[in-house]
Amino acid sequence: MRSEIVEALYACGGGHYGGSLSVLDLTLILYRRILQISADNPRDPQRDRFILSKGHSAMALYAVLRRIFFFEYPLSSYGQFGSPLEGHPDMTALPGIDFSTGSLGQGLSVGLGMALALHPTGQRTWVVLGDGECQEGQVWEAAMLAARYGVERLHAVIDYNKFQEWGWSQSANVNTQPLENLSQKWSAFGWRVFEVDGHDHDALTDTFRQAMETKGQPSVVIAQTVKGKGFPLIEADPIRFHCATLSPEEHQQLTNGKL
Amino acid sequence: MMWRLADHCGQHLSELAVADSRICVLDGDLADSDGAIHFAQRFPERFTMAGIAEQCMVSVAAGMASCGLKPWVFSFGAFLCYRSYDQIRVCLSQSRQPVTLVGSHTGGCSARNGKTHGALNDLALMASLPNMQVWAPGDTADLKFAMHSILGGDRPAYLRLPRRPLDALAGEPAPCRWIGTPQLVTLVSTGLGTHLALGAQEILLRAGIPVGLLHCPQIAPLPAEILSDALRQCETIFVIEDHYTFGGLASLIQHAIPQVHIIAHGWANDWSGQSGSDEDLLKHYGLGSEQLAATIMRQLKSPVNAKRVC
Repeated sequence: MRSEIVEALYACGGGHYGGSLSVLDLTLILYRRILQISADNPRDPQRDRFILSKGHSAMALYAVLRRIFFFEYPLSSYGQFGSPLEGHPDMTALPGIDFSTGSLGQGLSVGLGMALALHPTGQRTWVVLGDGECQEGQVWEAAMLAARYGVERLHAVIDYNKFQEWGWSQSANVNTQPLENLSQKWSAFGWRVFEVDGHDHDALTDTFRQAMETKGQPSVVIAQTVKGKGFPLIEADPIRFHCATLSPEEHQQLTNGKL
Repeated sequence: MMWRLADHCGQHLSELAVADSRICVLDGDLADSDGAIHFAQRFPERFTMAGIAEQCMVSVAAGMASCGLKPWVFSFGAFLCYRSYDQIRVCLSQSRQPVTLVGSHTGGCSARNGKTHGALNDLALMASLPNMQVWAPGDTADLKFAMHSILGGDRPAYLRLPRRPLDALAGEPAPCRWIGTPQLVTLVSTGLGTHLALGAQEILLRAGIPVGLLHCPQIAPLPAEILSDALRQCETIFVIEDHYTFGGLASLIQHAIPQVHIIAHGWANDWSGQSGSDEDLLKHYGLGSEQLAATIMRQLKSPVNAKRVC
């Protein structure tokens, strides 16, 4: 699937390599092993909900949804005119997208609304956020409110890849991480916190299941990930590959395992 | 004490909610000022105090709507429109979620609250978003009419309500209607503006100048056909609104019906708002009934404005 993502991003002229590759494993595990959903009925009111709040990693979500037979559109149509694979996930364009995202920081609030609405019927809501995204104040508005109402079937997952588009990489004497003390912050806001290797499928599965056991408070899984996971060239230059275009030579070498 | 339209909204919504279990309410910690209190007390289990966090509140409502609820979000119009504009744009407008925003204390008459609490260009912001329904009711009957229209549809909506309680208007509510007899000289108005227009109309009538009054509480989608038919017979058209002269009803009509000539009366676009009684503010900025009437009389004498048949 990593190769599919890289091929598709190259075919459509470039895009968010780094974040799509870091979020892929946890998204796949949620869809394959955790979410109560059906590709036959993507709008089933009884389904669990999933929001990719870091919507710029849409390619990873599309790759997963395609793999589990939600649609057959080619990934290379991503972001092309007329394709339902909009540049950022669009619920009005593609069945299977539970909510539109792209403007960062809004997904956790939307997920909280879903979890509150679905409380009587017991479905769960999973929201995947980026670590850089957590700089948005609205994330913490939602964190406070969810804890106040003890919304135990709301689960956040942080794709903790430790980079953002530009960040403070060029700044002297400044902490360059997108977000410090992630675990303490969420814990202080009243969330139950789990940490896991975001590329270890079995560990992810176990941790997500543990999070589902949480009572009386929302839970967050901090997934330690690598931006650009699987491709040394991309892993080595996460700033460039937040959103990038590869030359034909680079793409060739990348897919041949030479970069 | 007379109720504000926002109180009537909260009260009527709690009556409608008896028969419609999908209706729920969120409030941004102004329930005792913005009308949400009436619903909160009657249906505490369907009420969410979202805290002083409007961005989160609007997105939470959108998530609820996507799961089949009909959320109504109460606050002051200023905090809904300005604080949460991106959330309204993405979660409601682009995503087509049927959330209704109930914005109280809109317009320029903010009393002691002053400029931070008023909303002078909220119609421009809301009416320019795709899929939004926007209403500025002029009385309780208008408000209920708008609420039923909103609940009958599946689109996001913005209800623009003033701080000041409003008297009942004559006639039956409609998206756009004449109050009284049509005349060649016509005032077109919405919301609180219609009450300002009524005051000016009375003075003009006493001075022997018959002036019609076309009341248009539905702002978006603008009832352009009704407006166009009504204004076709008019020679001189004044728009009176509790909004900037740019971006509100005057601009929307001018945009939809380019052949009409509109003379706009509202707040000047270089004014940010300020504290003061309604009377003092309206008088000072030319929107009191007497000032409006005097200005209109002067403008009617100007050859530029005479007999502009559309």
